[in-house]
Amino acid sequence: MPNSRSIVLSLVRTSVRFPARVSLEQILDGLLRDEEFQQMVTRWETIAPRPARYAPFPEWLDGRIGAALRRRGIQQLYSHQAAALDATRAGKHIVVVTPTASGKTLCYNLPVLDAIAKDHTARALYIFPTKALSQDQLAELEGESSDMDIELKTYTYDGDTPPAVRAAIRSAGHVVITNPDMLHTGILPHHTKWVKLFENLRYVVLDELHTYRGVFGSHVANVLRRLRRICEFYGSHPVFICTSATIANPEELARHHIEDDVVVIDESGAPRGAKVLVFVNPPVVNRNLGVRKSALLTGRDIAATLLASGVQTIAFARSRVQTELLLTYLRSRFPQPQWPSNLIRGYRGGYLPSERRAIERGLRDGSVRGVVSTNALELGIDIGALQAAVLLGYPGTVASTWQQMGRAGRREDLSAAFLVATSSPTDQYVVQHPEYVLERSPEAGLVNPDNLHVLVHHLKCAAFEIPFDLRERFGTEDTPGVLAYLDEQGVLHEAGGKYHWSDQAFPAETTSLRTATNDNVVIVDTTGPAPRTVGSEYHDGKARVIGEIDRFAAQVLLHEQAIYLHESKQLQVERLDWENAKAYVREVKVDYYTQAELAVRIRVIDEFDRHTAQRGFDLAHGEVLVSTLTTIFKKLTMYTHENVGWGKIHLPEQELQTTSFWCSLPERVVAGWPKERIEVALAGLGNLLHGLAPLFLMCDPHDLGLAVEVRSPHTERPTIYLFDMTPGGIGFSERLFRSYEPLIARAREHLESCGCRTGCPSCVGPAYALGADVRESVAHLLSLA
Amino acid sequence: MHDLRSRIAAIVERDRRRHGEAGGESRGGVGTETLGARTAAALPFEVFEQRIVIDDLGLEIVGRGACDPLMLAHLGLRGEAPTRWQDVLWLDTETTGLAGGTGTYVFLLGIAYFCEGELVVRQHLLHDIGAERAFVETIQAEIEPFRACASYNGKSFDLPLLRTRWVMTLRSEITVDESHLDLLHPARRLWRDRFGSTGLKQLEESLFDEGRINDIPGSLIPDAYFHYLRGRDPAIIAPVLEHNARDIVSLVRIADRVAVAVLAARSGRAPDHAPAAYALARSFERTGELDAAFACYESAYYDGDNPLRVKLALAFARQLERRADVERALRMVETLLELGLGSPRWREQAESRVRRLTKKRWRRLASAS
Repeated sequence: MPNSRSIVLSLVRTSVRFPARVSLEQILDGLLRDEEFQQMVTRWETIAPRPARYAPFPEWLDGRIGAALRRRGIQQLYSHQAAALDATRAGKHIVVVTPTASGKTLCYNLPVLDAIAKDHTARALYIFPTKALSQDQLAELEGESSDMDIELKTYTYDGDTPPAVRAAIRSAGHVVITNPDMLHTGILPHHTKWVKLFENLRYVVLDELHTYRGVFGSHVANVLRRLRRICEFYGSHPVFICTSATIANPEELARHHIEDDVVVIDESGAPRGAKVLVFVNPPVVNRNLGVRKSALLTGRDIAATLLASGVQTIAFARSRVQTELLLTYLRSRFPQPQWPSNLIRGYRGGYLPSERRAIERGLRDGSVRGVVSTNALELGIDIGALQAAVLLGYPGTVASTWQQMGRAGRREDLSAAFLVATSSPTDQYVVQHPEYVLERSPEAGLVNPDNLHVLVHHLKCAAFEIPFDLRERFGTEDTPGVLAYLDEQGVLHEAGGKYHWSDQAFPAETTSLRTATNDNVVIVDTTGPAPRTVGSEYHDGKARVIGEIDRFAAQVLLHEQAIYLHESKQLQVERLDWENAKAYVREVKVDYYTQAELAVRIRVIDEFDRHTAQRGFDLAHGEVLVSTLTTIFKKLTMYTHENVGWGKIHLPEQELQTTSFWCSLPERVVAGWPKERIEVALAGLGNLLHGLAPLFLMCDPHDLGLAVEVRSPHTERPTIYLFDMTPGGIGFSERLFRSYEPLIARAREHLESCGCRTGCPSCVGPAYALGADVRESVAHLLSLA
Repeated sequence: MHDLRSRIAAIVERDRRRHGEAGGESRGGVGTETLGARTAAALPFEVFEQRIVIDDLGLEIVGRGACDPLMLAHLGLRGEAPTRWQDVLWLDTETTGLAGGTGTYVFLLGIAYFCEGELVVRQHLLHDIGAERAFVETIQAEIEPFRACASYNGKSFDLPLLRTRWVMTLRSEITVDESHLDLLHPARRLWRDRFGSTGLKQLEESLFDEGRINDIPGSLIPDAYFHYLRGRDPAIIAPVLEHNARDIVSLVRIADRVAVAVLAARSGRAPDHAPAAYALARSFERTGELDAAFACYESAYYDGDNPLRVKLALAFARQLERRADVERALRMVETLLELGLGSPRWREQAESRVRRLTKKRWRRLASAS
């Protein structure tokens, strides 16, 4: 076989009506012997199958449950399921960390079913991060209970629940399935309507715990504080059962959420089929700019190869638009009527629930052979076992990577997963260091429930729910101080030894859990009706809002006259309505781009901790005030980067009070360097660290801000700051402070293995923008770090 | 330090503004002085009682004689019908917010009941939120004997809030609404079309020709109370007490007006206003008082405009049919069809009705000959 592309083409030509049934083994074999393909492969990892480890049903388990499981062909439990049962029976909180499709749901369904079988007044609350997920769990749980002869009423209680049935759910539902948002606004502030649930709450299930991190996780941790407070009021002490994808700190994360001891169950007893993982790095097209062949096109070729042979395949794209593009490309490869119309479907947030259910069914029964999805299908929606997964771009975290790869090969037979890297620094790091994914996960789910912005909001909600005792603690040690402050503000009223809510507002409705406190600027495309993608299943009509950007980035990217690049289109900002946070853009064709000059000042307010690392690099983290001001922008030509004009920017100074990590260099490493060179080297090192830091933090690069100072007023030395973009911070800076050594080690590795000569966007940043010696200077700094 | 001082300054300024508003409202309210003077006591909560002779309220039916179960149905009854007017507890709450939920307090509960020819109005006012439990216990003891209540929108507002307070303080159920007359619904059916709004204030103006002077707007009540909590200035809470007392009395009088309209219609005098007649017709249909329903339909049909006629024609035709007046039923529906009225869906139904009535007429003619 000559190469991968011709495999596809020949198959398409020869099989007119039906997919040629070539087995996955044969395809993988072909790819292994395909030299052009092998040049892109940075790692071909075969994971050996693993047999199951079983444990018998515990004797105390209700007989009906065991009988029903046996009827379904389950003769015994996997070892981790038995461990979960034992721990929860002993009243311990648990977090189950096992791979996709290892039977995690039984880890919580069994204790719950057993409790209800023995006591029909027992109640359980299931919390899932998304709505779709709860639909799925509902079906599963109902299936399990119906053949057990146990009276069990389960209901989903979310925004879609009709008001007419809500009353019945409140009093009669044994298992109430909901999401954090509904718990926050719909259940906790109305707890008096849920007396039965809260008085008898035995278990709280927190599925996909690793998704409760960052700002959202910090909110959720506070919602759980409120939940426990209410349980206390009604005299119940539920056991928490969490499940999580593999992360470095499941116990720590669970402790933050539960604020109690947690037993980690992470030894899976479930069997696993053999699996091939392939890391693919598309070839470099432009060495200078560090541009590689599009991951989308490379991924399309792989997916098409698999689909043409009848291998049921899922492709994950990073965005809605990419999903649609890939879908269009693939459909044009498999035109109708030669190929069934149902062959490939798209799946993402904008689709109707009924459409989604149909696609899920199609995947399970095999009528849908391929699906292109955003990460919407990453979490535990039951779509049965697929044979292959193609990931377009690194999904951002190791946890997501495994979950997406885990979509293929849920059964015991051979499966394959391909990770196709883009040119971004994280992607390039991962594809060149596959062990980062394959070995023990370094990434931590971080939350900061005591972030004052988040905490105060939930403290208000909690006071609304139940009056606070004067000395009661809610998270932070300074709860009495915050309460006294709110009393002073007239939001609370002290009477009878308690703080009572004394405001007309309904506090839970004033903040959404999903957004940070800082607001975003919405980008509105005024070019005219957006052309519909051919074959698109997405009919939004207008689709005018094309994205949003936080205010900090907006002042650089969306000032008036800025050229904003979006999906490789050039858009010019015609008007920026700063007050109402809207930028109106219009498509243009110009041969320049814009670059705003951003003046960043950092004032250190408080240093929390500090130490000197090897060779005199000083590390610290603390609270900072970041002020930024944009004054002018330059117009630079596309390929030669010549300055062809400039303009003024009139925007107010932005201030952000947050937490930051900073690293200052000893004078000797830059001794004798001109100021410009120090500046370039710091900027380059900053870019490199900023690009790699998300590997440890499970965050997006834009959750983290970067600033460098040739001579910092605080440290009086050249200093790099990496700060949390969320006001008040959510713990990134402390984590960076603690993982400095591995971060620097990775930075060194990454720079050494980067294919560019003078610096590219995948490592230290483009040399044309920073300076020709950027890579060399950074390498010098790193060699001394 | 400066920060704290400026914060406190801002609060004081806000309080002063509120004080001004509330103080302004208090002027001229009936009974303000007497009520206000008494709230100065440092009690955690307090009851204000007024007794009003039934005759002074101008009541004709409500509060007099025995309860007629059918009449109660017209007054929006859900649950079993109480047998005596004395068994009904009329109630209205003032709260610290409109959103509901566990952080919304009921700080004033006005209740009223008939006793020996008088309407006894008792207002329970909470001075100290910290004493809510004792406040609720006292009220519970007082309302315990009542199993039926009457309210204006109490089904969806007052009772859920009270239920929440009962759970929060006593962890028990409130039993006063096993039967519930919620006057909002009959009042809306009878008068919304005519008066636009069916708020209590609007009804007072339209039905009794009594406007409220210096009434504190409902939206200002929570803030007035929060302000009152801090200084216990009786002048601030007096207008709220006044507002609440008027609401309760109006509730009773409005119930009486509904009852009067029902009684008149039963004796053949349907309301002049066609939509009200239509509303009563449907109400009579529900209670099975078909003659009264017929009278109201007929009146509504003749006084109403075409859209209303379309709305009631099929139901009215059924009543005509019941009275063996197939000819008239047929004529009416056919006329509306010929005029091209009604939605396509309605026309479909009307046409099928015409076919059925025509068949019936032929059968009747055949059997007659």
